[in-house]
Amino acid sequence: MTADDIVLQARNVYKVFIARGGRARTALRNVELTVRRGEFMCLIGPSGCGKSTVLNMFAGLVTPSDGEILHSGRVITDVNTRVGYVTQDDNLLPWRTAIANVELALECKGMPRAERRERALDYLARVGLKGQEELYPHELSGGMRKRVSIVRTLVDESVDVILMDEPFGPLDAQTRLILQDELLRLWHGTGRTIIFVTHDIVEAIALSDRIAIFTSVPGAIKDIREVTLPRPRDVFHIHETPGFSDIYDGIWNDLREEILKTRSADAA
Amino acid sequence: MPPDTLRDGEALLMRERELLAREERVFVTHTRRDAARIFTLQVAFLAALLLAWWAASGTLVDPLFLSDPISVLRVLYEIVVDGTLWWHLEWTLIEMALGYVLGVSLGLALAIVISGIPWGTQIVRPMMLGLFAIPKVALAPLVIVWFGIYLVPKVVLAASLVLFIVYFNTVAGIAAVNPRMQEVLRVMGASPFAVLTKLTLPSAMPYIFTGMRITVPGSLIGAIIGEFLSSNRGIGFLIAAASSRYDTARVFAGILSLLVFVLLLNAAISRLERRLARWQPLSNGKTKL
Repeated sequence: MTADDIVLQARNVYKVFIARGGRARTALRNVELTVRRGEFMCLIGPSGCGKSTVLNMFAGLVTPSDGEILHSGRVITDVNTRVGYVTQDDNLLPWRTAIANVELALECKGMPRAERRERALDYLARVGLKGQEELYPHELSGGMRKRVSIVRTLVDESVDVILMDEPFGPLDAQTRLILQDELLRLWHGTGRTIIFVTHDIVEAIALSDRIAIFTSVPGAIKDIREVTLPRPRDVFHIHETPGFSDIYDGIWNDLREEILKTRSADAA
Repeated sequence: MPPDTLRDGEALLMRERELLAREERVFVTHTRRDAARIFTLQVAFLAALLLAWWAASGTLVDPLFLSDPISVLRVLYEIVVDGTLWWHLEWTLIEMALGYVLGVSLGLALAIVISGIPWGTQIVRPMMLGLFAIPKVALAPLVIVWFGIYLVPKVVLAASLVLFIVYFNTVAGIAAVNPRMQEVLRVMGASPFAVLTKLTLPSAMPYIFTGMRITVPGSLIGAIIGEFLSSNRGIGFLIAAASSRYDTARVFAGILSLLVFVLLLNAAISRLERRLARWQPLSNGKTKL
Protein backbone atom coordinates (compact mmCIF):
# COMPACT_ATOMS: atom_id res chain seq x y z
CA MET A 1 0.00 0.00 0.00
CA THR A 2 1.53 3.32 -1.05
CA ALA A 3 1.04 6.61 0.78
CA ASP A 4 -1.40 7.72 -1.92
CA ASP A 5 -3.76 4.92 -1.04
CA ILE A 6 -4.16 6.21 2.51
CA VAL A 7 -6.69 8.98 2.95
CA LEU A 8 -7.12 9.21 6.72
CA GLN A 9 -4.85 8.04 9.44
CA ALA A 10 -4.97 8.04 13.23
CA ARG A 11 -1.50 7.63 14.66
CA ASN A 12 -1.05 6.64 18.26
CA VAL A 13 -4.08 8.71 19.28
CA TYR A 14 -5.07 9.23 22.90
CA LYS A 15 -7.97 11.22 24.23
CA VAL A 16 -8.40 12.15 27.85
CA PHE A 17 -11.50 13.98 29.01
CA ILE A 18 -11.66 15.85 32.26
CA ALA A 19 -14.59 14.37 34.14
CA ARG A 20 -16.55 16.16 36.84
CA GLY A 21 -14.44 16.67 39.95
CA GLY A 22 -11.34 17.17 37.82
CA ARG A 23 -10.57 13.49 37.38
CA ALA A 24 -9.16 12.39 34.05
CA ARG A 25 -11.10 9.82 32.08
CA THR A 26 -9.26 8.12 29.22
CA ALA A 27 -11.61 7.71 26.28
CA LEU A 28 -9.16 6.48 23.65
CA ARG A 29 -5.80 4.82 24.05
CA ASN A 30 -3.25 4.22 21.35
CA VAL A 31 -5.69 4.22 18.44
CA GLU A 32 -3.97 3.21 15.21
CA LEU A 33 -6.25 3.32 12.21
CA THR A 34 -5.62 3.65 8.51
CA VAL A 35 -8.42 4.35 6.06
CA ARG A 36 -7.77 3.51 2.42
CA ARG A 37 -8.88 5.79 -0.37
CA GLY A 38 -12.22 4.73 -1.80
CA GLU A 39 -13.12 2.15 0.82
CA PHE A 40 -16.26 1.85 2.91
CA MET A 41 -15.13 1.38 6.47
CA CYS A 42 -17.33 0.79 9.49
CA LEU A 43 -16.29 1.52 13.06
CA ILE A 44 -18.08 -0.77 15.46
CA GLY A 45 -17.79 -1.22 19.21
CA PRO A 46 -19.61 -1.17 22.54
CA SER A 47 -21.44 2.08 23.33
CA GLY A 48 -19.20 4.73 24.84
CA CYS A 49 -16.04 3.20 23.38
CA GLY A 50 -15.03 6.42 21.65
CA LYS A 51 -15.80 5.54 18.03
CA SER A 52 -17.72 8.78 17.54
CA THR A 53 -14.80 10.66 19.09
CA VAL A 54 -12.52 9.22 16.42
CA LEU A 55 -15.00 10.41 13.78
CA ASN A 56 -15.03 13.89 15.35
CA MET A 57 -11.24 13.87 15.21
CA PHE A 58 -11.31 13.07 11.50
CA ALA A 59 -13.65 16.07 11.12
CA GLY A 60 -11.20 18.21 13.09
CA LEU A 61 -13.84 18.98 15.72
CA VAL A 62 -11.95 17.18 18.52
CA THR A 63 -8.19 17.39 19.00
CA PRO A 64 -6.31 14.31 20.23
CA SER A 65 -4.65 14.60 23.64
CA ASP A 66 -1.70 12.81 22.12
CA GLY A 67 -0.84 11.41 18.73
CA GLU A 68 -1.97 12.85 15.41
CA ILE A 69 -4.65 12.64 12.77
CA LEU A 70 -3.63 12.91 9.14
CA HIS A 71 -5.69 13.60 6.05
CA SER A 72 -3.82 12.73 2.83
CA GLY A 73 -0.58 12.95 4.78
CA ARG A 74 -1.27 16.36 6.35
CA VAL A 75 -1.86 16.73 10.09
CA ILE A 76 -5.36 18.01 10.91
CA THR A 77 -5.12 20.96 13.28
CA ASP A 78 -8.38 22.77 12.60
CA VAL A 79 -11.88 21.96 11.32
CA ASN A 80 -11.41 19.63 8.38
CA THR A 81 -13.42 21.07 5.49
CA ARG A 82 -12.20 18.36 3.12
CA VAL A 83 -14.68 15.87 4.59
CA GLY A 84 -18.46 15.72 4.66
CA TYR A 85 -20.13 14.94 7.96
CA VAL A 86 -23.48 13.23 8.45
CA THR A 87 -24.38 13.59 12.12
CA GLN A 88 -26.44 11.22 14.20
CA ASP A 89 -29.43 13.58 14.28
CA ASP A 90 -30.35 14.95 10.89
CA ASN A 91 -29.57 18.54 12.01
CA LEU A 92 -31.42 20.08 9.08
CA LEU A 93 -32.04 23.81 9.31
CA PRO A 94 -35.76 23.93 10.11
CA TRP A 95 -36.31 27.27 8.36
CA ARG A 96 -34.96 25.96 5.08
CA THR A 97 -36.86 23.74 2.64
CA ALA A 98 -35.43 20.34 1.73
CA ILE A 99 -33.73 21.68 -1.35
CA ALA A 100 -32.39 24.76 0.42
CA ASN A 101 -30.87 22.46 3.02
CA VAL A 102 -29.22 20.41 0.31
CA GLU A 103 -27.83 23.55 -1.29
CA LEU A 104 -26.27 24.71 1.98
CA ALA A 105 -22.80 23.18 1.52
CA LEU A 106 -22.66 24.30 -2.12
CA GLU A 107 -23.63 27.81 -1.01
CA CYS A 108 -20.80 27.79 1.52
CA LYS A 109 -18.40 26.76 -1.23
CA GLY A 110 -19.65 29.61 -3.42
CA MET A 111 -21.22 27.60 -6.24
CA PRO A 112 -23.44 29.70 -8.56
CA ARG A 113 -27.15 29.56 -7.83
CA ALA A 114 -28.39 27.81 -10.97
CA GLU A 115 -25.72 25.15 -10.82
CA ARG A 116 -26.25 24.26 -7.19
CA ARG A 117 -30.00 24.11 -7.66
CA GLU A 118 -29.62 21.69 -10.54
CA ARG A 119 -27.21 19.55 -8.54
CA ALA A 120 -29.48 19.51 -5.49
CA LEU A 121 -32.52 18.55 -7.58
CA ASP A 122 -30.57 15.69 -9.12
CA TYR A 123 -29.45 14.31 -5.76
CA LEU A 124 -32.90 14.64 -4.18
CA ALA A 125 -34.40 12.76 -7.14
CA ARG A 126 -31.88 9.97 -6.64
CA VAL A 127 -33.26 9.26 -3.16
CA GLY A 128 -36.86 9.45 -4.32
CA LEU A 129 -37.61 12.95 -3.08
CA LYS A 130 -38.58 14.39 -6.45
CA GLY A 131 -41.58 16.66 -5.95
CA GLN A 132 -40.89 17.09 -2.21
CA GLU A 133 -38.12 19.61 -2.64
CA GLU A 134 -40.05 22.57 -1.29
CA LEU A 135 -41.21 20.89 1.92
CA TYR A 136 -39.85 22.02 5.27
CA PRO A 137 -38.12 19.48 7.55
CA HIS A 138 -41.12 19.32 9.91
CA GLU A 139 -43.27 18.25 6.97
CA LEU A 140 -41.00 15.28 6.18
CA SER A 141 -40.95 11.84 7.81
CA GLY A 142 -37.92 10.67 9.78
CA GLY A 143 -36.67 8.60 6.85
CA MET A 144 -37.09 11.48 4.42
CA ARG A 145 -35.25 13.87 6.74
CA LYS A 146 -32.43 11.37 6.97
CA ARG A 147 -32.28 11.14 3.17
CA VAL A 148 -32.07 14.92 2.91
CA SER A 149 -29.35 14.95 5.56
CA ILE A 150 -27.27 12.35 3.68
CA VAL A 151 -27.82 13.97 0.32
CA ARG A 152 -26.84 17.39 1.61
CA THR A 153 -23.45 15.94 2.47
CA LEU A 154 -22.98 13.85 -0.69
CA VAL A 155 -24.06 16.69 -2.99
CA ASP A 156 -20.79 18.50 -2.33
CA GLU A 157 -18.59 16.54 -4.72
CA SER A 158 -15.53 18.57 -3.78
CA VAL A 159 -15.18 16.36 -0.70
CA ASP A 160 -14.25 12.74 -1.27
CA VAL A 161 -14.41 11.55 2.33
CA ILE A 162 -17.77 11.17 4.06
CA LEU A 163 -18.03 10.63 7.81
CA MET A 164 -21.28 9.15 9.10
CA ASP A 165 -22.10 8.88 12.80
CA GLU A 166 -24.76 6.18 13.31
CA PRO A 167 -26.97 7.90 10.76
CA PHE A 168 -29.62 5.16 10.70
CA GLY A 169 -29.75 4.69 14.47
CA PRO A 170 -33.19 6.15 15.22
CA LEU A 171 -34.96 4.68 12.16
CA ASP A 172 -37.27 1.68 12.10
CA ALA A 173 -35.87 -1.61 10.75
CA GLN A 174 -37.44 -1.44 7.27
CA THR A 175 -36.52 2.18 6.62
CA ARG A 176 -33.04 1.36 7.79
CA LEU A 177 -32.63 -1.37 5.20
CA ILE A 178 -33.98 0.81 2.42
CA LEU A 179 -31.62 3.62 3.35
CA GLN A 180 -28.64 1.25 3.53
CA ASP A 181 -29.50 0.12 0.01
CA GLU A 182 -29.85 3.71 -1.21
CA LEU A 183 -26.57 4.71 0.40
CA LEU A 184 -24.71 1.85 -1.30
CA ARG A 185 -26.21 2.85 -4.67
CA LEU A 186 -25.22 6.49 -4.15
CA TRP A 187 -21.71 5.51 -3.16
CA HIS A 188 -20.96 2.62 -5.52
CA GLY A 189 -18.55 3.56 -8.27
CA THR A 190 -17.96 7.11 -7.03
CA GLY A 191 -14.56 6.30 -5.57
CA ARG A 192 -15.43 8.24 -2.43
CA THR A 193 -14.35 7.08 1.00
CA ILE A 194 -16.98 6.49 3.67
CA ILE A 195 -16.30 6.02 7.38
CA PHE A 196 -19.45 4.85 9.05
CA VAL A 197 -19.99 4.44 12.80
CA THR A 198 -22.54 1.84 13.85
CA HIS A 199 -23.19 -0.67 16.57
CA ASP A 200 -25.18 -2.99 14.33
CA ILE A 201 -23.05 -5.92 13.11
CA VAL A 202 -25.35 -6.81 10.20
CA GLU A 203 -25.37 -3.22 9.02
CA ALA A 204 -21.58 -3.11 9.22
CA ILE A 205 -21.24 -6.30 7.15
CA ALA A 206 -23.81 -5.21 4.59
CA LEU A 207 -22.04 -1.89 3.96
CA SER A 208 -18.31 -2.24 4.54
CA ASP A 209 -15.15 -3.29 2.85
CA ARG A 210 -13.45 -3.35 6.24
CA ILE A 211 -14.71 -3.19 9.79
CA ALA A 212 -12.67 -1.74 12.64
CA ILE A 213 -13.73 -3.24 15.95
CA PHE A 214 -13.17 -1.15 19.06
CA THR A 215 -12.47 -2.39 22.56
CA SER A 216 -14.60 -1.15 25.42
CA VAL A 217 -13.63 2.17 26.99
CA PRO A 218 -10.86 3.33 26.93
CA GLY A 219 -11.25 2.52 23.24
CA ALA A 220 -8.54 1.04 21.10
CA ILE A 221 -8.68 -0.90 17.85
CA LYS A 222 -9.15 -4.53 18.79
CA ASP A 223 -9.32 -6.00 15.35
CA ILE A 224 -9.84 -5.10 11.72
CA ARG A 225 -11.83 -7.49 9.56
CA GLU A 226 -12.18 -7.57 5.80
CA VAL A 227 -15.65 -8.11 4.36
CA THR A 228 -15.02 -9.92 1.11
CA LEU A 229 -18.67 -10.33 0.11
CA PRO A 230 -19.10 -9.40 -3.57
CA ARG A 231 -20.58 -6.05 -4.64
CA PRO A 232 -23.15 -4.82 -5.50
CA ARG A 233 -24.72 -6.28 -2.38
CA ASP A 234 -28.30 -7.09 -1.62
CA VAL A 235 -28.74 -5.61 1.85
CA PHE A 236 -32.18 -7.18 2.21
CA HIS A 237 -30.75 -10.69 1.93
CA ILE A 238 -27.23 -10.08 3.14
CA HIS A 239 -27.56 -12.70 5.86
CA GLU A 240 -28.14 -15.37 3.17
CA THR A 241 -24.98 -14.51 1.29
CA PRO A 242 -22.38 -17.30 1.52
CA GLY A 243 -19.66 -16.38 3.97
CA PHE A 244 -21.89 -14.02 5.94
CA SER A 245 -22.13 -16.10 9.10
CA ASP A 246 -18.38 -16.63 9.35
CA ILE A 247 -17.82 -12.90 9.27
CA TYR A 248 -20.67 -12.32 11.68
CA ASP A 249 -19.38 -14.87 14.17
CA GLY A 250 -15.87 -13.46 13.98
CA ILE A 251 -17.06 -9.96 14.78
CA TRP A 252 -19.43 -11.14 17.46
CA ASN A 253 -16.64 -13.06 19.18
CA ASP A 254 -14.54 -9.89 19.30
CA LEU A 255 -17.44 -7.76 20.46
CA ARG A 256 -18.84 -10.13 23.04
CA GLU A 257 -15.76 -9.94 25.23
CA GLU A 258 -15.80 -6.16 25.08
CA ILE A 259 -19.50 -5.86 25.80
CA LEU A 260 -19.13 -8.21 28.78
CA LYS A 261 -16.29 -6.03 30.06
CA THR A 262 -18.48 -2.93 29.75
CA ARG A 263 -21.25 -4.69 31.63
CA SER A 264 -19.06 -5.81 34.51
CA ALA A 265 -17.62 -2.27 34.67
CA ASP A 266 -21.15 -0.88 34.86
CA ALA A 267 -22.05 -3.32 37.61
CA ALA A 268 -18.96 -2.44 39.66
CA MET B 1 -68.32 -4.68 -0.70
CA PRO B 2 -67.96 -1.11 -1.98
CA PRO B 3 -69.27 -0.29 -5.47
CA ASP B 4 -66.76 -0.79 -8.24
CA THR B 5 -66.56 2.90 -8.95
CA LEU B 6 -65.12 3.44 -5.50
CA ARG B 7 -62.22 1.14 -6.17
CA ASP B 8 -61.44 3.11 -9.27
CA GLY B 9 -58.41 5.30 -8.49
CA GLU B 10 -59.99 8.53 -9.71
CA ALA B 11 -63.18 7.95 -7.71
CA LEU B 12 -61.22 7.14 -4.59
CA LEU B 13 -59.27 10.32 -4.97
CA MET B 14 -62.48 12.34 -5.32
CA ARG B 15 -63.89 10.75 -2.21
CA GLU B 16 -60.70 11.47 -0.30
CA ARG B 17 -60.82 15.10 -1.38
CA GLU B 18 -64.41 15.34 -0.24
CA LEU B 19 -63.55 13.91 3.17
CA LEU B 20 -60.62 16.25 3.51
CA ALA B 21 -62.70 19.26 2.55
CA ARG B 22 -65.35 18.34 5.10
CA GLU B 23 -62.76 17.88 7.81
CA GLU B 24 -61.12 21.16 6.92
CA ARG B 25 -64.45 23.01 7.02
CA VAL B 26 -65.25 21.61 10.46
CA PHE B 27 -61.84 22.71 11.66
CA VAL B 28 -62.15 26.21 10.21
CA THR B 29 -65.72 26.92 11.31
CA HIS B 30 -64.80 25.78 14.76
CA THR B 31 -61.97 28.26 15.17
CA ARG B 32 -63.89 31.00 13.35
CA ARG B 33 -66.83 30.56 15.65
CA ASP B 34 -64.49 30.74 18.64
CA ALA B 35 -62.85 33.85 17.28
CA ALA B 36 -66.23 35.55 16.77
CA ARG B 37 -67.31 34.65 20.29
CA ILE B 38 -64.11 36.05 21.79
CA PHE B 39 -64.47 39.24 19.79
CA THR B 40 -68.08 39.74 20.95
CA LEU B 41 -67.01 39.31 24.56
CA GLN B 42 -64.16 41.75 24.10
CA VAL B 43 -66.55 44.39 22.76
CA ALA B 44 -69.04 43.71 25.55
CA PHE B 45 -66.33 44.06 28.18
CA LEU B 46 -65.19 47.37 26.73
CA ALA B 47 -68.78 48.63 26.56
CA ALA B 48 -69.31 47.70 30.22
CA LEU B 49 -66.21 49.63 31.23
CA LEU B 50 -67.30 52.70 29.28
CA LEU B 51 -70.75 52.47 30.81
CA ALA B 52 -69.32 52.25 34.33
CA TRP B 53 -67.10 55.24 33.59
CA TRP B 54 -70.05 57.21 32.28
CA ALA B 55 -72.17 56.29 35.33
CA ALA B 56 -69.43 57.10 37.84
CA SER B 57 -68.55 60.44 36.36
CA GLY B 58 -70.53 63.22 38.02
CA THR B 59 -72.06 60.86 40.61
CA LEU B 60 -69.19 59.11 42.42
CA VAL B 61 -66.31 61.20 41.09
CA ASP B 62 -65.98 64.86 40.13
CA PRO B 63 -65.89 65.11 36.29
CA LEU B 64 -62.84 67.35 36.73
CA PHE B 65 -60.82 64.22 37.65
CA LEU B 66 -62.37 61.66 35.38
CA SER B 67 -64.23 63.56 32.66
CA ASP B 68 -66.73 61.24 30.93
CA PRO B 69 -66.72 59.06 27.81
CA ILE B 70 -68.94 61.36 25.80
CA SER B 71 -66.84 64.50 26.38
CA VAL B 72 -63.71 62.51 25.63
CA LEU B 73 -65.13 61.19 22.38
CA ARG B 74 -66.26 64.72 21.48
CA VAL B 75 -62.75 66.11 21.99
CA LEU B 76 -61.27 63.16 20.16
CA TYR B 77 -63.60 63.82 17.24
CA GLU B 78 -62.66 67.52 17.23
CA ILE B 79 -58.91 66.94 17.23
CA VAL B 80 -59.23 64.28 14.55
CA VAL B 81 -61.28 66.55 12.31
CA ASP B 82 -59.20 69.72 12.71
CA GLY B 83 -55.97 67.78 12.19
CA THR B 84 -54.53 68.54 15.65
CA LEU B 85 -54.25 64.87 16.51
CA TRP B 86 -52.36 63.99 13.35
CA TRP B 87 -50.06 66.99 13.76
CA HIS B 88 -48.99 65.74 17.20
CA LEU B 89 -49.14 62.03 16.43
CA GLU B 90 -46.90 62.46 13.42
CA TRP B 91 -44.19 63.98 15.58
CA THR B 92 -44.46 61.33 18.28
CA LEU B 93 -44.39 58.66 15.61
CA ILE B 94 -41.19 60.05 14.13
CA GLU B 95 -39.48 60.18 17.53
CA MET B 96 -40.68 56.73 18.37
CA ALA B 97 -39.73 55.17 15.04
CA LEU B 98 -36.26 56.70 15.06
CA GLY B 99 -35.72 55.64 18.67
CA TYR B 100 -37.03 52.16 17.97
CA VAL B 101 -34.83 51.62 14.94
CA LEU B 102 -31.82 52.99 16.81
CA GLY B 103 -32.51 50.81 19.84
CA VAL B 104 -33.09 47.64 17.83
CA SER B 105 -30.01 48.17 15.65
CA LEU B 106 -27.76 48.94 18.61
CA GLY B 107 -29.17 46.05 20.66
CA LEU B 108 -28.72 43.61 17.77
CA ALA B 109 -25.25 44.84 16.86
CA LEU B 110 -24.04 44.75 20.47
CA ALA B 111 -25.46 41.27 21.01
CA ILE B 112 -23.88 39.89 17.83
CA VAL B 113 -20.47 41.44 18.51
CA ILE B 114 -20.36 40.62 22.23
CA SER B 115 -21.59 37.06 21.68
CA GLY B 116 -18.67 36.59 19.29
CA ILE B 117 -16.13 37.39 22.03
CA PRO B 118 -15.21 34.57 24.43
CA TRP B 119 -17.02 35.17 27.75
CA GLY B 120 -18.11 38.52 26.28
CA THR B 121 -21.73 38.33 27.38
CA GLN B 122 -20.77 37.24 30.90
CA ILE B 123 -18.26 40.09 31.24
CA VAL B 124 -20.71 42.84 30.32
CA ARG B 125 -23.73 41.22 31.95
CA PRO B 126 -23.69 43.13 35.30
CA MET B 127 -23.22 46.42 33.47
CA MET B 128 -25.98 45.69 30.98
CA LEU B 129 -28.36 44.59 33.74
CA GLY B 130 -27.54 47.74 35.71
CA LEU B 131 -28.17 50.04 32.78
CA PHE B 132 -31.33 48.13 31.97
CA ALA B 133 -32.61 48.49 35.53
CA ILE B 134 -32.11 52.27 35.81
CA PRO B 135 -35.50 53.99 35.52
CA LYS B 136 -35.13 55.87 32.27
CA VAL B 137 -37.27 58.73 33.64
CA ALA B 138 -34.42 59.46 36.02
CA LEU B 139 -32.11 59.87 33.05
CA ALA B 140 -34.44 62.20 31.19
CA PRO B 141 -33.11 65.50 32.64
CA LEU B 142 -29.54 64.41 31.89
CA VAL B 143 -30.49 63.42 28.37
CA ILE B 144 -31.94 66.87 27.83
CA VAL B 145 -28.75 68.49 29.12
CA TRP B 146 -26.73 66.33 26.73
CA PHE B 147 -28.91 66.36 23.65
CA GLY B 148 -30.94 69.57 23.89
CA ILE B 149 -34.69 69.86 23.72
CA TYR B 150 -35.44 69.12 20.11
CA LEU B 151 -35.85 65.69 18.51
CA VAL B 152 -32.71 63.90 19.70
CA PRO B 153 -33.41 63.50 23.46
CA LYS B 154 -36.76 61.83 22.69
CA VAL B 155 -35.13 59.48 20.23
CA VAL B 156 -32.43 58.63 22.78
CA LEU B 157 -34.97 57.96 25.52
CA ALA B 158 -37.06 55.80 23.21
CA ALA B 159 -33.95 53.88 22.13
CA SER B 160 -32.87 53.34 25.74
CA LEU B 161 -36.12 51.51 26.45
CA VAL B 162 -35.64 49.24 23.44
CA LEU B 163 -31.92 48.53 23.34
CA PHE B 164 -31.45 46.38 26.43
CA ILE B 165 -34.39 44.07 25.95
CA VAL B 166 -33.43 43.48 22.31
CA TYR B 167 -29.85 42.92 23.47
CA PHE B 168 -30.77 40.36 26.13
CA ASN B 169 -33.18 38.51 23.87
CA THR B 170 -30.70 38.33 21.02
CA VAL B 171 -27.95 37.09 23.34
CA ALA B 172 -30.29 34.37 24.62
CA GLY B 173 -31.23 33.43 21.04
CA ILE B 174 -27.61 33.20 19.95
CA ALA B 175 -26.73 31.11 23.00
CA ALA B 176 -29.53 28.68 22.12
CA VAL B 177 -28.15 27.85 18.67
CA ASN B 178 -27.67 24.09 18.25
CA PRO B 179 -23.91 23.48 18.57
CA ARG B 180 -24.11 20.38 16.34
CA MET B 181 -25.56 22.45 13.52
CA GLN B 182 -22.72 24.90 14.02
CA GLU B 183 -20.21 22.08 13.64
CA VAL B 184 -21.95 20.80 10.53
CA LEU B 185 -21.67 24.24 8.95
CA ARG B 186 -18.04 24.64 9.89
CA VAL B 187 -17.15 21.27 8.38
CA MET B 188 -19.00 22.41 5.24
CA GLY B 189 -16.48 25.22 5.06
CA ALA B 190 -18.80 28.05 6.09
CA SER B 191 -17.01 31.28 7.00
CA PRO B 192 -17.85 32.89 10.37
CA PHE B 193 -20.00 35.37 8.46
CA ALA B 194 -21.84 32.55 6.69
CA VAL B 195 -22.44 30.80 10.03
CA LEU B 196 -23.88 34.07 11.35
CA THR B 197 -26.22 34.71 8.43
CA LYS B 198 -27.18 31.14 7.57
CA LEU B 199 -27.48 29.67 11.05
CA THR B 200 -27.10 31.96 14.06
CA LEU B 201 -29.45 34.78 13.08
CA PRO B 202 -32.24 32.65 11.55
CA SER B 203 -32.07 30.36 14.58
CA ALA B 204 -32.23 33.31 17.01
CA MET B 205 -35.02 34.98 15.02
CA PRO B 206 -37.90 33.94 17.29
CA TYR B 207 -36.03 35.41 20.30
CA ILE B 208 -35.14 38.58 18.42
CA PHE B 209 -38.70 38.98 17.25
CA THR B 210 -40.07 38.61 20.75
CA GLY B 211 -37.65 41.32 21.86
CA MET B 212 -38.72 43.54 18.99
CA ARG B 213 -42.40 43.07 19.72
CA ILE B 214 -42.34 43.69 23.46
CA THR B 215 -40.26 46.85 23.08
CA VAL B 216 -42.65 48.69 20.76
CA PRO B 217 -44.63 50.16 23.67
CA GLY B 218 -41.29 50.99 25.33
CA SER B 219 -40.23 53.20 22.45
CA LEU B 220 -43.54 55.03 22.72
CA ILE B 221 -43.07 55.51 26.46
CA GLY B 222 -39.61 56.95 25.85
CA ALA B 223 -40.91 59.44 23.31
CA ILE B 224 -43.79 60.49 25.59
CA ILE B 225 -41.50 60.94 28.64
CA GLY B 226 -39.25 63.14 26.53
CA GLU B 227 -42.23 65.20 25.41
CA PHE B 228 -43.51 65.61 28.96
CA LEU B 229 -40.23 67.17 30.00
CA SER B 230 -39.81 69.69 27.23
CA SER B 231 -41.52 69.94 23.88
CA ASN B 232 -43.94 71.93 21.79
CA ARG B 233 -45.30 69.13 19.68
CA GLY B 234 -46.31 65.49 20.11
CA ILE B 235 -49.00 63.50 21.91
CA GLY B 236 -47.05 63.84 25.16
CA PHE B 237 -47.09 67.60 24.72
CA LEU B 238 -50.83 67.52 23.95
CA ILE B 239 -51.52 65.59 27.14
CA ALA B 240 -49.17 67.69 29.31
CA ALA B 241 -50.59 70.95 27.98
CA ALA B 242 -54.21 69.84 28.49
CA SER B 243 -53.39 68.59 31.96
CA SER B 244 -51.90 71.95 32.98
CA ARG B 245 -55.24 73.53 31.97
CA TYR B 246 -57.24 70.87 33.88
CA ASP B 247 -58.77 69.84 30.58
CA THR B 248 -59.32 66.20 31.62
CA ALA B 249 -61.36 65.28 28.55
CA ARG B 250 -58.48 66.33 26.31
CA VAL B 251 -55.99 64.38 28.46
CA PHE B 252 -58.09 61.25 28.08
CA ALA B 253 -58.53 61.88 24.37
CA GLY B 254 -54.74 61.93 24.05
CA ILE B 255 -54.34 58.74 26.08
CA LEU B 256 -57.09 57.01 24.11
CA SER B 257 -55.48 57.88 20.80
CA LEU B 258 -52.21 56.39 22.06
CA LEU B 259 -54.04 53.24 23.10
CA VAL B 260 -55.63 52.76 19.70
CA PHE B 261 -52.31 53.49 18.05
CA VAL B 262 -50.47 50.86 20.11
CA LEU B 263 -53.12 48.23 19.41
CA LEU B 264 -52.87 48.84 15.67
CA LEU B 265 -49.11 48.63 15.85
CA ASN B 266 -49.28 45.34 17.72
CA ALA B 267 -51.63 43.84 15.17
CA ALA B 268 -49.27 44.86 12.36
CA ILE B 269 -46.31 43.24 14.11
CA SER B 270 -48.15 39.98 14.82
CA ARG B 271 -49.03 39.80 11.16
CA LEU B 272 -45.45 40.30 10.09
CA GLU B 273 -44.28 37.72 12.62
CA ARG B 274 -46.67 35.08 11.32
CA ARG B 275 -45.39 35.67 7.82
CA LEU B 276 -41.77 35.25 8.87
CA ALA B 277 -42.45 32.14 10.95
CA ARG B 278 -44.01 30.21 8.07
CA TRP B 279 -41.45 27.42 8.37
CA GLN B 280 -42.60 26.51 11.87
CA PRO B 281 -45.21 23.81 12.46
CA LEU B 282 -48.56 25.03 13.75
CA SER B 283 -49.22 24.25 17.38
CA ASN B 284 -52.14 21.95 16.43
CA GLY B 285 -49.75 19.79 14.42
CA LYS B 286 -51.38 20.71 11.12
CA THR B 287 -49.26 22.02 8.34
CA LYS B 288 -49.87 25.44 6.95
CA LEU B 289 -50.99 25.35 3.33
